Amino acid sequence: MLSIKNLNVAISGKEILKDFNLEIKPGEVHAIMGPNGTGKSTLAATLAGKEDYEVLSGEVIFNDKNLLEMEADERAREGVFLAFQYPVEIPGVSTTNFMKAAVNAKRKHNGLEPLDAKDFLKLMNEKSALVEIKREFLSRSINEGFSGGEKKRNEIFQMAMLEPSLCVLDETDSGLDIDALRIVANGVNKLRDANRSFLVITHYQRLLNYIVPDYVHVMFGGRIVKSGGKELALKLEAEGYDWVKEEVMIG
Amino acid sequence: MELQKQFEAIQSNFDAESLPLRKNALEAFEKLGIPSTKHEEWKYTNIKAKLKPDFTVATTNSQVNAAVKNYIASLPPYAFRLIFLNGIFHSELSIVPDIKGVTVCNLQEAFEHHTALTEKHFGKLVNLSDEHFAALNTAFVADGAFIHVQKNVVVNEPIYIQYFFTATDVNAFAQTRNLVILEDGASLQIAEDFRNASNISVQYNHVAEMYVGSNAQLDVVKLQMEVSNAIGVHTLESKVERNGRFSVATITFSSPNTGTHNVLIRNNVTSRLVGEGAHADFAGLYFGKENALIDNHILVDHVAPNCTSNQLYKGVLNQESTGVFNGKIFVKPDAQKTNAFQSSKALLLSKEASINSKPQLEIFADDVKCSHGAAIGQLDENSLFYLMARGVSKQEATQILTYAFAHEVVDHVHSKPIRQFLCDKLKDELQLNF
Ligand SMILES: Nc1ncnc2c1ncn2[C@@H]1O[C@H](COP(=O)(O)OP(=O)(O)OP(=O)(O)O)[C@@H](O)[C@H]1O
Ligand SMILES: [Mg+2]
Repeated sequence: MLSIKNLNVAISGKEILKDFNLEIKPGEVHAIMGPNGTGKSTLAATLAGKEDYEVLSGEVIFNDKNLLEMEADERAREGVFLAFQYPVEIPGVSTTNFMKAAVNAKRKHNGLEPLDAKDFLKLMNEKSALVEIKREFLSRSINEGFSGGEKKRNEIFQMAMLEPSLCVLDETDSGLDIDALRIVANGVNKLRDANRSFLVITHYQRLLNYIVPDYVHVMFGGRIVKSGGKELALKLEAEGYDWVKEEVMIG
Repeated sequence: MELQKQFEAIQSNFDAESLPLRKNALEAFEKLGIPSTKHEEWKYTNIKAKLKPDFTVATTNSQVNAAVKNYIASLPPYAFRLIFLNGIFHSELSIVPDIKGVTVCNLQEAFEHHTALTEKHFGKLVNLSDEHFAALNTAFVADGAFIHVQKNVVVNEPIYIQYFFTATDVNAFAQTRNLVILEDGASLQIAEDFRNASNISVQYNHVAEMYVGSNAQLDVVKLQMEVSNAIGVHTLESKVERNGRFSVATITFSSPNTGTHNVLIRNNVTSRLVGEGAHADFAGLYFGKENALIDNHILVDHVAPNCTSNQLYKGVLNQESTGVFNGKIFVKPDAQKTNAFQSSKALLLSKEASINSKPQLEIFADDVKCSHGAAIGQLDENSLFYLMARGVSKQEATQILTYAFAHEVVDHVHSKPIRQFLCDKLKDELQLNF
């Protein structure tokens, strides 16, 4: 599904991702943890196709296609979804209208007719129920004046609407209260299936109690320095990153 | 033909009462001439280079053509509308409201039957000695719309005043005019709509005088959306009495839909707040394409104390188009407790597009609140990326963000039916189908 090989990425001339490698198979959930500033969001945004990130070398193959050759919009239509760490506020356009444009862009890409008003409404109802987001949020301007938690829930709603095959969640749990965390995690779990993969970036092991990962990776200095199962997250929660750093030094 | 001769040739058509004023106006215009860019108010708008030097002001041709018929057929059948072709009223195409306390007719009829009102109001708000085009218009205008609303009469449905230009002669310079009078406590919404219905470049000069009585409310929308291939000058002068409210939204889309494009639109919109507690709202939205030039000159004159005014202008400039914004706020010595606000924003969607934006505040009272802000920029990269990261193409994302930028102005339009109409127009213009 996704294969990242020796990826090097720089921002404003500064190298952030260094020989980054990761393989994700269909249906798998991978978690990435790591200290602030190690390049987790850089990885996420690079996968989504942020323009000003400079790919120095390496390759990213997604469903047998070279992801790095595509613009952000094409990647999304091919099935990549990024839930932003900091969702953008866009006054003047409702989430509903935005989703109408996005869903139909994807349908067109797949050779389908645009949804009519009735079917679109049906889809909205179904997906908003899935992530328990109130319809009134969807008729408001995109994220404008939303609380941190409301913005994150809106990201998961959009993810549900677009039915991507690779979901990258960048700290979607940050800023969520306990109930919202459970609701968002439930939404994600309902979207899990044999073909849909997840890359979950988080600082907290707590999220991984709800969204149980197949693999946990520790990122440090722009690359993955340690990988393991879900128990790795527990160890990090209990002991912090110092021991990983030491291992890296010795290595 | 020399203007004096043009005047002599048609003056017998004019109402005798208006002749002295027209002659004064002609004299004033002969002194002023067409302004060059040396004139401070026309510095960025070279109308002299664009306007045909041998223009003819007499209306010659006002035949209904297919473009006019098609457009009228597309209108909601119930809407009140006054239809003018090259400035001449066509009653058979119009739906004139028949409401108690409201007089709606053409100026020719008003001069004849409502002489007391026309004498008191026609040509009284425009400044003939400084305003080149208002002077020219006052001398030559043959017809126009006349609306008078009696005390405390509220008109709920908007009235559309539609000006079509069907010239076949490139030298034609159509003169159009509106006179709107709201007595105390009256309320009215109007749209002035301008369309080029010919297949050549048209030239027109429109003047409106609007009187807003005490506690009256007048909402005006100026629609300049089908003017590709036109040189148009608009002058709107309004006077607002005690606690009266006046709003005007000027919407200009230079959509290229024919082969050649030659768009120059100048708006002079003025409101004088002469009674305590009066309010004026100016909104503007303009879309420039190709080599269009869209110029908005606004003046709010705070004469009386405790008045408020608000100017919100937004422009979207593509290709080599140019915007000009000049927003004047005058606060006279008596106008204490004035609260005036101005904002002008422009989105430049190409490297060749440009805007000249100038706030001009002249304040002669000490207890006032005035603020102004101008912003010029491109679309926000993060917002573009956010939309594209959901699969929306760059082009559509640009259109969505432009819609978001522009929508605030549409929201500002007071009249609900006109607001809805504009919202649909905006989506059409941006090819959005949500
Ligand atoms: N536009 C930019 N210009 C310069 N440096 C940048 C830019 N964006 C990010 N960086 C730097 O890149 C590094 C990695 O940032 P990134 O956001 O990927 O970290 P992160 O692992 O997601 O951190 P956090 O856990 O705090 O979210 C940081 O040192 C950051 O300062
Ligand atoms: Mg981050």
